[in-house]
Amino acid sequence: MGQTKDNKKEKMKANKKIIIAQVIFLMIVGAVLFLLYPKAKVEINGNLVKINSGNANLIIISESPDFSNPRYLELNNKTEEFNLAPGTYYWKASNSYINGLKNKFTIESEVGLKIDDKELVNIGNVKLNVSEGENGVMVGHIILEPEESEKIENKGEYIGRQE
Amino acid sequence: MKALKKKQKRNYSLELEYICLMLFVLLILLSIAPRASALGITPGRTTVEFESGLEKEVKFSVLNNEHKNMEVTLLSMLKDDSGASISLFQDSIKFSPSEESKELKYMIKLPEEMAPGLHVGEIVAVEIPQNPEAETFIGATVAVVSQLYIYVPCPGKCIEADLEVLDAEQNSTATFIVPVISRGQLGIGEVRAVIDIYKLSEKITTIETDFRPLNAGERTELSAKWLVDAPAGDYSAKVSIFYDGESEIFEKQFTIGIQALSIESILVRDFRLGEIAKLQILVENKYSQELTNVYANLQVYNKQEKVMADIKSATENIPSLSKKELIAYWDTVGVDVGEYDGKLMVKYGEKSTDKNLILKIKEDSLDIIGVGYAIRSESPRGINLTTILLVLVIILLIVNLAWFVFFRRFIKERKNKAGKPIIRV
Repeated sequence: MGQTKDNKKEKMKANKKIIIAQVIFLMIVGAVLFLLYPKAKVEINGNLVKINSGNANLIIISESPDFSNPRYLELNNKTEEFNLAPGTYYWKASNSYINGLKNKFTIESEVGLKIDDKELVNIGNVKLNVSEGENGVMVGHIILEPEESEKIENKGEYIGRQE
Repeated sequence: MKALKKKQKRNYSLELEYICLMLFVLLILLSIAPRASALGITPGRTTVEFESGLEKEVKFSVLNNEHKNMEVTLLSMLKDDSGASISLFQDSIKFSPSEESKELKYMIKLPEEMAPGLHVGEIVAVEIPQNPEAETFIGATVAVVSQLYIYVPCPGKCIEADLEVLDAEQNSTATFIVPVISRGQLGIGEVRAVIDIYKLSEKITTIETDFRPLNAGERTELSAKWLVDAPAGDYSAKVSIFYDGESEIFEKQFTIGIQALSIESILVRDFRLGEIAKLQILVENKYSQELTNVYANLQVYNKQEKVMADIKSATENIPSLSKKELIAYWDTVGVDVGEYDGKLMVKYGEKSTDKNLILKIKEDSLDIIGVGYAIRSESPRGINLTTILLVLVIILLIVNLAWFVFFRRFIKERKNKAGKPIIRV
C-alpha cells in the first residue's frame, strides 16, 4: 500500500518535472522568437510609405496576398521612405533568421480636379477619366495622369473618375 | 459574360449621361460665379465583394484642396435593376479655410441576389458657389466621383486580368506581369499565361509565364521575362490566359524604349549639416555596350523653386550590363533644415536619365525620397515563422511521446518489481 503511494508520488514528481521542463522550454523558445522576430512598423501618409525598422533588415512587398512577384526593400537605415501608387499592398518583415507574418496596408486613391486659368489639372494621385459634358450631354473624355493638365474652354462640366 | 459586360457598359454610359444631365441642371440652378475651382474626393474607388443582404457603411472624404470657404453638394447613384441601394447620410457639407477634408459615410444595402459581374455606384461631389447673388456666370465646373464597385462572383470559375510591362527597353530584360483576380465562386487549380508579342501584324516572339493556384476572390501575379532584342517602338501583346481548361484572351499595347541607364539608389553616410556630404549614386548600365563619360547632376531647389545647389559627380565609364557608383560632393554650408525638391540627372552622351526627388534635411541626416529602394532579386534569407512553429510542435510532440513511452516502461517495471517476492537473507 505504502509502496503504491510512493510510486504515485514519484510519478507525480516526474510528471511535474516534465511539465515544468516543457513550460521552461516553451518560454525560452518564446523569448528567443520574440527577440529574433523581425519587427517593423509601417506608416502611411498619402502616397508616402515610411518604414521604421526594429530589427528587420528586409521588407517584402507584394500587391498579391500570395506574395507572387514581390519587391524586396533593403533597410539600410532605421527609417526608409518611398512612394507607392494607390492600392492594397501585402508586406512582411524579414531578417537573417525569421520571415515575419503577413501584414497589409492600403494607399487610398485620391480623385482631384482643378480648373486654373482655362486649364484642367489632375491634382489627385491616380489616372483620371474625365467626362466632358455640355448642356447635360456628354461630348467627350479626357484622360489625365496625375499632375497632367489640358487646355479647356471656359464652359461645360468636367466629371473626374478614377480610370 | 462578355454580353453581360457590354450590357453593363451600356447601362453605365446611360448612367453617366444621367449624372451629366443632373449636374447640368444643378449647375444652372446654382449659377456659378467666376472662380478657380478645385475639389477632391478619396478614395477614388471602394470595392465590395457581394454578400447576400449585406448592409454596410462606407467612409469617404471630400477634400478642400485650396483651403477656402466652400460648400459641396453630394449625389449618390446606383442605377441598377438589381435592387441594391446607396444612401448618403448628408447631402451637403460646408468647409472653412482651416478644414482640409471632411469624412463622410454612405450606406449600401445589397439584395439577397444580384446578377454576376460588376455593378458600379457613384458618389458625386460638386462645389456650390458661396455667393449665389453675385454676378451670374456660367463657366467650366468640376465634379469628382468616388466609385463603388460591387463584384458579384460568377457561379463557376472566371477571371479578370491585365498586363503591365516593366523595363521595356532595348537590350534590357523586360518583365511582363499579368495580375489575375479570381471573380468566380470556385478556386482555380492552375492559372498561366502565354504572351505573343507583335510588331504590327508580325509575331516577334512568344513568352510563357509561371503558373499558380488561385483561390476564389483572390489575386495573384504571373510573370515572364523577355530579353528585348527588338528595336524601339510600339508593340502589341496578345495575352492568352489558361485556367483549368478554360481560357481568356486580351490585347494590350506597349512601347519599347531606348533608355540604357537606370538610377538604382542614392546613399549618404555620416551626414552633418554644414559639412560636405558625400553622395553615392548607384547606376546600372543595361546597354550591351560600355557607356562612356557618364556623370550625375543633382539640382536642389529652394522654396521659390530656384536652383540652390547644382552638384556634379566626376565622369565615369560604365561597362556593359554592370553597376557603378558615381560620387558627388555637396557643401551644405548655409543650407537650412527642411524639405527640398530636387532633380537627379544621370547624363551619358546626349541622353539623360532623370528622377525627381525630395530631400529631407536634418542636422544629422539627409533622407532622399524618390530613389533608392534597392530591389533585390534573390529570396530572403530568414526562415518562415510557420516553419519555426512547426518545428516547435514536432519537438514537443517527440518530447511528449518519449515521456509517454518512458512512463509506460517505468510503470511496468514498478508493477513487475511489486509482483516479485522479497527474499530476505
